[in-house]
Amino acid sequence: MEDSTLAPIALLIDSLRSQDAAQRLASVKKLSTIALALGEERTRRELIPFVNESVDDEDEILLALAEELGEFVPLVGGPQHAHFLLPPLESLATVDETVVRERAVASVISVTGHMPAASMQEHLLPLLQRLAGREWPARVSACKLFATAYPPAPEHNRAELRAAFLKLCHDETPMVRRAAAQALAPFAETLEPQHIREDILPSFVDLTQDDQDSVRLIAVEAAGALAKVLSRDEVAASVMPAVMHCSQDKSWRVRYNAVQQLPALGEALGMETASSELLPLYLQLLRDNEPEVRTAATSKLSAFARLIPVGDVTSQLLPRVKEIGGDANQLVRSALATVVMELAPILGKNDTVEQLLPLFLSLLKDDWPDVRLAIIGKLQAVNQVIGIELLAQTLLPAVEDLATDKHWRVRQAIIEHTPMLATQLGADLFQQKLGKQCMQWLQDPVYSIREAAIHVLQAVAKEFGPDWAREHIVPQVLLLVNSDNYLHRMTVLAAIGALSTCVSREVVQMSMLPSVVACCKDRTPNVRFNAAKVMQQLAAVLDGPAIQHTIKPCLAELSADGDADVRFYAAAAASACS
Amino acid sequence: MDLDRWIEQARWERGAGLQAAQQRLKRCEPLKESDVKQLCEKAVEILVEEANVQRVDAPVTICGDIHGQFYDLTELFKVGGDCPQTNYLFMGDFVDRGFYSVETFLLLLALKVRYPERITLIRGNHESRQITQVYGFYDECLRKYGSANVWRYCTDVFDYLSLSALIDGTIFAVHGGLSPTITTLDQIRTIDRKQEVPHDGAMCDLLWSDPEDGVDGWGLSPRGAGYLFGHDIATQFCQANGVELIARAHQLVMEGYKWMFRDQLVTVWSAPNYCYRCGNVAAILELDDGGSKNFKVFEAAPQEARGVPSKKAAPDYFL
Repeated sequence: MEDSTLAPIALLIDSLRSQDAAQRLASVKKLSTIALALGEERTRRELIPFVNESVDDEDEILLALAEELGEFVPLVGGPQHAHFLLPPLESLATVDETVVRERAVASVISVTGHMPAASMQEHLLPLLQRLAGREWPARVSACKLFATAYPPAPEHNRAELRAAFLKLCHDETPMVRRAAAQALAPFAETLEPQHIREDILPSFVDLTQDDQDSVRLIAVEAAGALAKVLSRDEVAASVMPAVMHCSQDKSWRVRYNAVQQLPALGEALGMETASSELLPLYLQLLRDNEPEVRTAATSKLSAFARLIPVGDVTSQLLPRVKEIGGDANQLVRSALATVVMELAPILGKNDTVEQLLPLFLSLLKDDWPDVRLAIIGKLQAVNQVIGIELLAQTLLPAVEDLATDKHWRVRQAIIEHTPMLATQLGADLFQQKLGKQCMQWLQDPVYSIREAAIHVLQAVAKEFGPDWAREHIVPQVLLLVNSDNYLHRMTVLAAIGALSTCVSREVVQMSMLPSVVACCKDRTPNVRFNAAKVMQQLAAVLDGPAIQHTIKPCLAELSADGDADVRFYAAAAASACS
Repeated sequence: MDLDRWIEQARWERGAGLQAAQQRLKRCEPLKESDVKQLCEKAVEILVEEANVQRVDAPVTICGDIHGQFYDLTELFKVGGDCPQTNYLFMGDFVDRGFYSVETFLLLLALKVRYPERITLIRGNHESRQITQVYGFYDECLRKYGSANVWRYCTDVFDYLSLSALIDGTIFAVHGGLSPTITTLDQIRTIDRKQEVPHDGAMCDLLWSDPEDGVDGWGLSPRGAGYLFGHDIATQFCQANGVELIARAHQLVMEGYKWMFRDQLVTVWSAPNYCYRCGNVAAILELDDGGSKNFKVFEAAPQEARGVPSKKAAPDYFL
């Protein structure tokens, strides 16, 4: 009995030893099944040691193994036995392949998360010490474990751990220093304030002055997190000079990361210092030689503007912002388009209209579609600040241009804002400015635009009511049913279906139904089966006689159509109607 | 297996933001191997009935190479309309080169099985066992399914794909081009197509040949299979068969489509930014039921609408 249940398991274990890598991989992915069948005891005594010997395999298999073992705690008998999983994970944390190592470290963290504190002290600390003393791939893995190992460690071990981390911060291998720089902020969050000041801060300053730019650029990213856990004076004395130093770095990637730390730094330092010390630096980075740095700086515009006095925003920041509007690089302008309106609440209505609106309009006419798209997304925000009259006067001409933009995603973005504009403009102004455009969208060459136009018509019909819809939408839509192109005739059908709930039953019966009946005899099967679908929608709003005398006979005829899809949809509609 | 549900699911990923797409991709289980087998068997049942010159009625939208660019295929459907609303003819090369050959081919195949009247698939030179082992489809199947079974099911379907299509009797659609051994459509009809693409002969030429300006008659193809054919050959073929236009794919054209031979032949290319780096736009050719031809040109799906397969982190020694 037992043999027969274990036979497939024996097979799986065999395939763990297979010559064929694909088979070994498949078997590793079923490791939990094997463990379940073996039971906790045998998993600990046989499977794990066996796995521990097979960590000399291809990376793909090792990756799967590292992942599996992270979920293995219940399978080896729960938290008190979790440490059995550490030896194979430790080996995996030392391999050359980054992906495998990172996965192994993540699994160590999740496994130790289950372990009781005593067991963690007993097993994790020595593991960390061993990793920290081996070749560089192991030391890279070690860096990531300090934040996990430190909190449960007893006092006498903590000093050791801090010393080990400091050593890794000054490791001879840049790869390890990079890992240490990355671990800096998470580790600092677990430390006592005194030790952040005495141990982490000097290491941070050293790493931001490393001779490798790849280390500096990671180190400077810790500035924001450190600013949060240190006192204002410490930030001003140590963190700020380090970030300022990085802002002048000869490598643009370092400047790129440095500029992103400025808002967090400014927040810690307070308005006065932000304005006197950081603003000049920020203005300089907004004018950096590298477009990437200008883009990063621009995207922090509103976050930074909030930290300095409004007077400084108008006198110093705004002139620079206007320059950016004419930047030669479209990514910079795109970043500006995304954030520029967030300045409006800071500036207030008058300055927004005078200073920002011209910029806004010029970005709406930008050569680059991404810039136009980014700014369209902010129409609602503009409206909130400047109100509808000004919006209608100044922006509508630009919106009308964009409604026929040659990039369909720009047209789509405008369409998505049309219901909002309709609400703001009111029925008359809407009809005058955008009514015709809606009908043109309905005949757009791009399917998604036609589809979006239908939603707009439905939203507008709901906004302005059934009578308005009967007069201004329904006749224009029904006119299009004579199009030569089957795709456009189907658009009309879809529009009829969408509008049928927004107009009176009489309009549906007298105007819409005859058009749909005509479509049931269309030369193209696609139109016929869509007519069948719409019939089903109309039946939901019409009364008994119309269904009996018009809809059902039509569907009956379509159910005997020569085309299989027409028959299918007609039968589906017919059964839904009865 | 619920085909409608899977088609919905496969399409569902389109248009969603990067994060949502990734989460959905994670959640959306790929078609199970057993489902792929079932789908392929169904597809063969349908395809085996189709002719070597499959009859297609207008209206229909003609598409060229896709090459596993799944997110760009969803972009194509956004521009051209979803199947079954819009009728489609795909002229081969669904797989290889792109990252998502499996999803691409299985979606098209699922549409074919669910709506056989609304979509026509014909064979390209990449729908072949030999070629897919070199250009990515085989490796992708192995990577995504852990075995070559899915590749085997799919390549078995390839053998049943039709070789060409004739739209309303006047537009001849084929992946590559013409063959010196073929003067009439009836000669194509007599080919026994249910086999791996041969190295030479009529079937090979249909899938491999290219039109060439400035060539008289037949020329040697630099591809090592098929031929180059000139204006005169296209004219002869059209006259002999009452054909007005030859529509084909097979060659990258930067503008998405290209007329040749005094509008007697058109190349349609539907893989935008081919291989994710060529910078070309793509096109589809819409034939409506009013008799007009419209090209719809489109660009690659924007970055946030596509999931990029996680790149292996750069090795640590690469500073």
